[in-house]
Amino acid sequence: MNSYPVTLKQSYSSALQAYLADAQEAALMRAYELGRQATENGLGVLDIAAVHQEALTQVLRPSSPSQETLQTVQAASKFLAECIAPFEMTHRGFREANAALKQQATQLANLNKELDAFAYSVSHDLRAPLRAIDGFSQALLEDYLDKLDAQGVDYLNRVRNASQAMGRLIDGLLKLSRLTRAEMRRQPVDLSATAQAIAEALRKSQPERRVAFSIAGGVTANGDPVLLQVVLENLLSNAWKFTSRHATATIEFGATWQDGKQVCFVRDDGAGFEMAYAGKLFGAFQRLHGRNDFEGTGIGLATVRRIIDQHGGRVWAEGAVDRGAAFYFTLEP
Amino acid sequence: MNEKAILLVEDNPDDEALTLRALKRNKILNEIVVARDGAEALDYLFGTSVISGQDAPLNPEIVLLDLKLPKLDGHEVLKRIRADPRTKLLPVVILTSSTEDEDVVKAYGLGANSYVRKPVDFDQFSEAVRHLGLYWLVLNVPPRSKGR
Repeated sequence: MNSYPVTLKQSYSSALQAYLADAQEAALMRAYELGRQATENGLGVLDIAAVHQEALTQVLRPSSPSQETLQTVQAASKFLAECIAPFEMTHRGFREANAALKQQATQLANLNKELDAFAYSVSHDLRAPLRAIDGFSQALLEDYLDKLDAQGVDYLNRVRNASQAMGRLIDGLLKLSRLTRAEMRRQPVDLSATAQAIAEALRKSQPERRVAFSIAGGVTANGDPVLLQVVLENLLSNAWKFTSRHATATIEFGATWQDGKQVCFVRDDGAGFEMAYAGKLFGAFQRLHGRNDFEGTGIGLATVRRIIDQHGGRVWAEGAVDRGAAFYFTLEP
Repeated sequence: MNEKAILLVEDNPDDEALTLRALKRNKILNEIVVARDGAEALDYLFGTSVISGQDAPLNPEIVLLDLKLPKLDGHEVLKRIRADPRTKLLPVVILTSSTEDEDVVKAYGLGANSYVRKPVDFDQFSEAVRHLGLYWLVLNVPPRSKGR
């Protein structure tokens, strides 16, 4: 135990005497300061009540109070202590829960770091053999083409396609782990302008497609501009991708208010999905569509969720097969 | 020989074969010297070499340097190259799997001339090597080193 309670007793007693002698604001501030120091040193309200009782007894001593007065003071203090005991218990509970939470948070942060380090090294070490698989398959196709029949060529092309697909998966994983390692910086972000720029880029990538973008103006949010750009890129290019089977399509970006919170959304009238699988959408490597229908690694929405989680927000989806999909997100808890 | 050698520092034999293949495919005919770890690379450059078989320093036209290497890693090799007056101006291209910002920034900080990521797709890899050859062996004017 440290010697703080002894110091507190002395300081409290002199401060109380000073206050009772001359009810000055300064003396009250001293009381506040003592209370602050007491909590910092891990003392509870019951300790303060005990110190208070002792100090009060000391204050009364010079005027030689009657035994009766002293007993009254003691009894009153005991009564007060009993009454504030629940506060003390709640406070202690909070403190313990807080300490446990802190420990858990540290553990979680360490685990996350380990996982990211793992993802990083796995990603790099996995790329080298993939390069060899793809490269030597290509060498066979180029140097030994005359010795291969059509099926042999087909098989080698499959090997190459598969290794390149795995390369893209690894890149997606790397990107995901990189995103979470970077520190988040919140600032006002013009989501409308970001969405507009992404829409332009998508339009340029396939100018022959007939897609109408409807982007609400003036939608802003407080968040990390780089991460929010990634969110909108993923959601809008998903919408772009999943409307590709329709002759014309509409992709919408906007925001509504729900329970005092801004809810942003990206909506399309494309392939949609079965609501029964809505919960699966946001897991890494989850795909609801066949590889032949729509390309993709299954990392985009996992990335979106991770970023929204980092912002303390929520993301969810609504959709129906062939009637489009809508993705909603908030950025505040 | 008129054309100076290319020093390829690469520990993975598959990557070595693929890089050689990509160079050949793109008709880059310079002699290619392969060092399989950082120490071998320095041996070659500073003339105490098993590979070069001579004790005078030998400047290649360009160094293609992997980062993840046994003994001395690529960053360390680069640091030594830049620290020595005989090699401090030597063009060094980092050729690696990593695109970690940290690795990139560190390499440039240590004086790398270029940083290229090895793609999984061999066609892309070959294309990258073609560009490298065109730029560093044809377009680029290297500093004249003394006594050569």
